[in-house]
Amino acid sequence: MTALITLTGVNKYYADYHALRDINLTINEGEFFSLLGPSGCGKTTLLRTIAGFEMPSDGVVMIGGKDMAGVPANLRPTNMVFQSYAIFPHLTVAENVAFGLRKSKEIDKQTKAKMVAEALAMVGLDGYGKRAAHALSGGQRQRVALARALILKPKVLLLDEPLSALDKKMREQMQVELIRLQRQVGITFILVTHDQEEALVMSDRIAVMFEGEIGQLADPETLYRRPNSRRVAQFIGKMNMLDATVEVVDEVIDLTVRGLGSMQIEREQAPEGGQVGSAVVGIRPETLGILFEGETTERKLVDGVVDEVVYYGDMTYYDVRIEGVEQPLNIAMKNLIGRPVLEVGAKTQVIWDERSLVLLP
Amino acid sequence: MIVSPPFLYALLLMACPLLAIFLFSFWTQDFMTLDTSFTLDNYREIVEKPIYGALLQRSLYVSSCVTFVTVMLAFPVAYFVSFHVRPDRKSLWLFLITIPFWTSYLIRVFLWKVILGYNGVINTGLINVGLIDEPLTFILYNVNAVIITLAHAFAPFAILPIFVALEKIDRSLLEASQDLGESKFMTFLRVTLPLSMPGVVGAVLIVFIPTIGDYVTPELMGGAGGKLVANMIQTQFLALNNAPLGAALAIVAMLCVTVISVIFVLINRRWLKGRS
Repeated sequence: MTALITLTGVNKYYADYHALRDINLTINEGEFFSLLGPSGCGKTTLLRTIAGFEMPSDGVVMIGGKDMAGVPANLRPTNMVFQSYAIFPHLTVAENVAFGLRKSKEIDKQTKAKMVAEALAMVGLDGYGKRAAHALSGGQRQRVALARALILKPKVLLLDEPLSALDKKMREQMQVELIRLQRQVGITFILVTHDQEEALVMSDRIAVMFEGEIGQLADPETLYRRPNSRRVAQFIGKMNMLDATVEVVDEVIDLTVRGLGSMQIEREQAPEGGQVGSAVVGIRPETLGILFEGETTERKLVDGVVDEVVYYGDMTYYDVRIEGVEQPLNIAMKNLIGRPVLEVGAKTQVIWDERSLVLLP
Repeated sequence: MIVSPPFLYALLLMACPLLAIFLFSFWTQDFMTLDTSFTLDNYREIVEKPIYGALLQRSLYVSSCVTFVTVMLAFPVAYFVSFHVRPDRKSLWLFLITIPFWTSYLIRVFLWKVILGYNGVINTGLINVGLIDEPLTFILYNVNAVIITLAHAFAPFAILPIFVALEKIDRSLLEASQDLGESKFMTFLRVTLPLSMPGVVGAVLIVFIPTIGDYVTPELMGGAGGKLVANMIQTQFLALNNAPLGAALAIVAMLCVTVISVIFVLINRRWLKGRS
């Protein structure tokens, strides 16, 4: 894999507001890369810095080996799908898609028309060329925005929360289509999103951002299973947090977790290493279980009392109180055949396994 | 039929006077009495005597020039306020633009006389600097003076509709254009200008239509060669006591304005249709 975009020590200040804090980042050719974070974390500013709409206060942005300092947006090998889609209302669909082709004087009119038709076909809008842009639905506008950007064969396609304005069904459909499109054209995609599920589903790698800095940069599985901090763990999915005391850090880590007792975990379960002293361990709800009557387990058990039940159809989420821990444990259970939905106050046993723990600093 | 108060006062204030003018134009004035038998004599006279056609032509020419100059000057101002003024200062700027309206129209016309006159600001200035020896005479009491004065008077009317149209343009469209490879100048030509056309059309109509009917400025600034059709209408009504002929002239002028405005709007349909 070759690096396409390199950011080195990028900072951005707006008056006294520090929007980007020392960003160092490499994005590879052909990668589906996501910038994920809560609103106001700087992810859109970072995207606009790559696009050339914002200039970094200091630091270097390189695209395809070229320093982008002083290069305006119209001369960069990037194209963007805007959050509002920014479809030109005075032009037809075909005119919108052909907008960026004006400068390609060497391409004749017929070839251009063919390129537009192909681009529209690629995003599933065959025959929409003559329609007025203002008569399109949200999903169609987005497809036009995609076609308009991809027809220019950019090195990088930048997507600024492109799915946030769509309803749930449409969003899921577009996620799949974007992945397919990215594999088909092989262009680097950089997606900005605040939706952790969207980022996990679509990306090769994800940078999680908080307050202008990158909290963790990893592939989706690592990010989910081995978050490197409490804020990453809590931003991506649900995570139970338990206080712990680390006793020995050696080949393995010896620690005592409040409510669960003493145990040993592997070194890789501590992404930031581990330090003797107090710490926190995280456990995902689906790696815990409830021992129903008639079921057996070889894993470890701890007594608990059901505190809250939320029924989701395919799943039931339980909050279960265990001794010595203030915050009840959140447990996700599949509603398999023969499993009852427990009631609040029921005494139960919680199944757990130290292999699913992650030690957080 | 909706008989509501707005309908009634619209009828009283707009339709009735118009209808009266329309009726007058088919009557004749016989010294002190009004002959109310139907005749087309007034219209025949307007068509046959070249003076009326010439005045009408000059009126249309002056109005077109005023409209062109006003819109060309108003656009940059509207653009500046919309794109380069901080959002919280915009209403202040619009307020400042209306300052010329705080004084009477007549006073503004006289001020232009002071500026453009034989011993006016421009002439004495240029003579003192030494650029000219004799005062310039082509700047007062002719059509040019009328155009300058009217353009100044109507500028705020043109700025506002253009400003509103520019304000409505989604700024991400401009970024999208640049993202697709266009420079700032081409973005202006391909995105900003076409999207501001509804405002420009509005400005053109707002300036063009009332300037046809203006008679104060040509009376004061136009001299002998700068009189327009509205002055003739005024003369017919008040000086010559020939209301029917004045009414017929007014109707003809109105028809011209209507036809030109409709043609103009139809031409601009192309620009207007994309927005809703």
